[in-house]
Amino acid sequence: MRAQALARQRRGRLGAFVVGAASLLVLGGLLAIPLFLLSSLLPWRGLSASAWEHLGILLSGTVRATACAMLVALPLGIATAMFTAHFCAAPLRALIKPALEVLDAVPTVVLGLVAFATLAPWLKNHVASVLALIVAIPSLLLAAGFAFGARARGNRWLPLSLLPLLVAIVAIVLAIAAQRPSAAIVPASPWNAMLVGLALGFAALPLVFSLAEDALYLVPREQMQAAFALGATRWQALVSVLLPAAAPGLLAAALLGISRCLGETMIVLMASGNTPIGGVDVLTGLRSISADLALGLPEAAPAGESWRGLLLAALALLVLTVLLGSLADVVRERLHRRLRADVRT
Amino acid sequence: MIMRRRADDAGTWLIAGAVALSLAALLGLLGLLVSAGLAPFWPAAVEEVHLRDGRVLLGEIVGGEVDAIALRTSEIDHVGEGYRRVPLAQIVARAQPADAIALVLADGRRLFGRGADAGETALLAQAGRPAEVLETTRPNALGGFARAGLFLHRLGRFIATPPLASNLDGGVLPALIGTVTLVLLMSAIVMPLGIATAVYLHQRRGFGVRSVRAAINTLAGVPPIVYGVLGLGLFVHGIGGGIDRWFYADRLPLPTFGGGGLLWAALTLALLTLPVVVVSVEEGLSRIPASLREGSLALGATRDETLWRLLLPAARPAILTGLVLAVARAAGAVAPLMLVGVVKLAPALPLDGTFPYLHPSRQFMHLGFEVYDAALASSDAIRGVPRAYACALLLVGVVVALNLSAILLRNRLRDRYRELET
Repeated sequence: MRAQALARQRRGRLGAFVVGAASLLVLGGLLAIPLFLLSSLLPWRGLSASAWEHLGILLSGTVRATACAMLVALPLGIATAMFTAHFCAAPLRALIKPALEVLDAVPTVVLGLVAFATLAPWLKNHVASVLALIVAIPSLLLAAGFAFGARARGNRWLPLSLLPLLVAIVAIVLAIAAQRPSAAIVPASPWNAMLVGLALGFAALPLVFSLAEDALYLVPREQMQAAFALGATRWQALVSVLLPAAAPGLLAAALLGISRCLGETMIVLMASGNTPIGGVDVLTGLRSISADLALGLPEAAPAGESWRGLLLAALALLVLTVLLGSLADVVRERLHRRLRADVRT
Repeated sequence: MIMRRRADDAGTWLIAGAVALSLAALLGLLGLLVSAGLAPFWPAAVEEVHLRDGRVLLGEIVGGEVDAIALRTSEIDHVGEGYRRVPLAQIVARAQPADAIALVLADGRRLFGRGADAGETALLAQAGRPAEVLETTRPNALGGFARAGLFLHRLGRFIATPPLASNLDGGVLPALIGTVTLVLLMSAIVMPLGIATAVYLHQRRGFGVRSVRAAINTLAGVPPIVYGVLGLGLFVHGIGGGIDRWFYADRLPLPTFGGGGLLWAALTLALLTLPVVVVSVEEGLSRIPASLREGSLALGATRDETLWRLLLPAARPAILTGLVLAVARAAGAVAPLMLVGVVKLAPALPLDGTFPYLHPSRQFMHLGFEVYDAALASSDAIRGVPRAYACALLLVGVVVALNLSAILLRNRLRDRYRELET
């Protein structure tokens, strides 16, 4: 009896040891990334001026791609989250959330393929139309809402009713653009920052949406009911109560979206043309840090100059994403503290 | 006041429009994937095009512009030589003759011809180099059911056969096997580690737990390509190079483990997916009602016995969810693989019938890389892009199915805990 109990306890200690060892291994494995990058770069042996210049171009390309993507993902993601969290009929919300989760699961190489093979040949001839659409869709929606919105007030399935309107706007703008070939803008390359921005923005959309939607949805119902009781409309409650309360969460969503875009590889690799061009022109190609790593590292000789340059680029990417992630954590922590404080008072 | 309400309506319409735009783009993407991914398998009609200068071209239409069509005619000598761009202005007449024959040869060439019963042999005699015939059809004479049958047959062949010599025709079996083997090996590495870490995080308190949790949180956001850099620098060159120097010195400078291979790719992906597994298993453990654990301890079970006999079995759906999410994430991660051993054409499968059956040092093929490679790296876009779309559809199908099953599992999990609590 006693021997049995001892054996049980010994087994228990063995189990605890295994669990501890595994977590130590995990910690070591995860810390291996920064440690490995630092240890291969130190002692620092310097880089030539051309290598530094190349790194600068890579960084500018990464930033340009990310900025274009954010111009797509932020307005679209946050606006979608605003409607879904605040106006949406429950069944529609139960449709939108998994739909965007499915989009998040689509491998980015597939989005890269669509950008490269389908979107690029189309965009080459339709740059002006896309710019026109970016102006026309929001302004026409605003105008239509201003004119006819009273009839649809309280319609919680509004997005589905707006689909035909959206299709009509797109068709009309494209038809007008087709009538005016002189107004067309010809990009320097079919694979340019604008194309990357559209594809990458679409890839970052689910992340921005789900984080923003969570932040908005977590705002206590009481606050909104108070706003309604004081006579606010749904939109007023959104703007004056929900948005300020959830602002840190929206900021965190933006930061994590940026972090995601900075490191995204396959879309940039396939859609950017990978030409090392600096500057801020959205119609030229670019080369990002991640694409340079994917293309250059397998060929680089270990410990050579290009190898060290690439590792430095990887370290820069790591530091940037970790910084953005930590910043987002801090901001989100503030959101939760604020919401908890609100509930208590 | 009325103006104010109208402005509110305008804002509402704006954000509702954003929802509509997101949904429309998503639907468009899925529609494009399904149609472009399945189109390569649908039997295309053979067109006979009469030109103004008296020539007659016979072939499949593979593309078009505003003022021209692209035609794939017979490839007599080698793959990819038969593409013709025909301006619409030069075309006198077009027809789809019922006696047209389309042949697919074993090296990927297509031959088109016309003729009655013996037409195939006559057509084959024209070919510059003899090759085995893979498929003989008369596409214009096919009825609806025959077309659908051929479509399914081609789809099956795409999944279940290796690629043809031209590399852009035939099936994707090696890439599919490579993907599955890689993911299985990765799961075998990540699951024990992930579960043990989740248990550690769940049971202990203190500095160790805080640092492991911080590491996992922080590195969950690190881009996959950086994991690839680690895999190449540390696993392939560092550990792999070391193994080669110690155990395979006779084969150097040819690398055995010192080159990219299945094992290193699986390790890299295991690190990449570790946070997913840990988070979902830990969540599963923390959802088990405390009363269950307390009951077990009160009945005299040690902490370890409680863990093995009670907590882990109760958390089984959470463990499965973690596995499925990790697999989905791994199947979609292509960028790190480009650094640690994926190749466009592997000489041998990583999994075969010779001992030791699994060859962890071999390079491998991968569906996701196949998408990239067929679309970008090939010079033959007319073959490459449809193939890339077909691979993409297969990959998306696998990944989406995995994710949906994870969602179903999560729902079952919730029901189960509700039962436990009552």
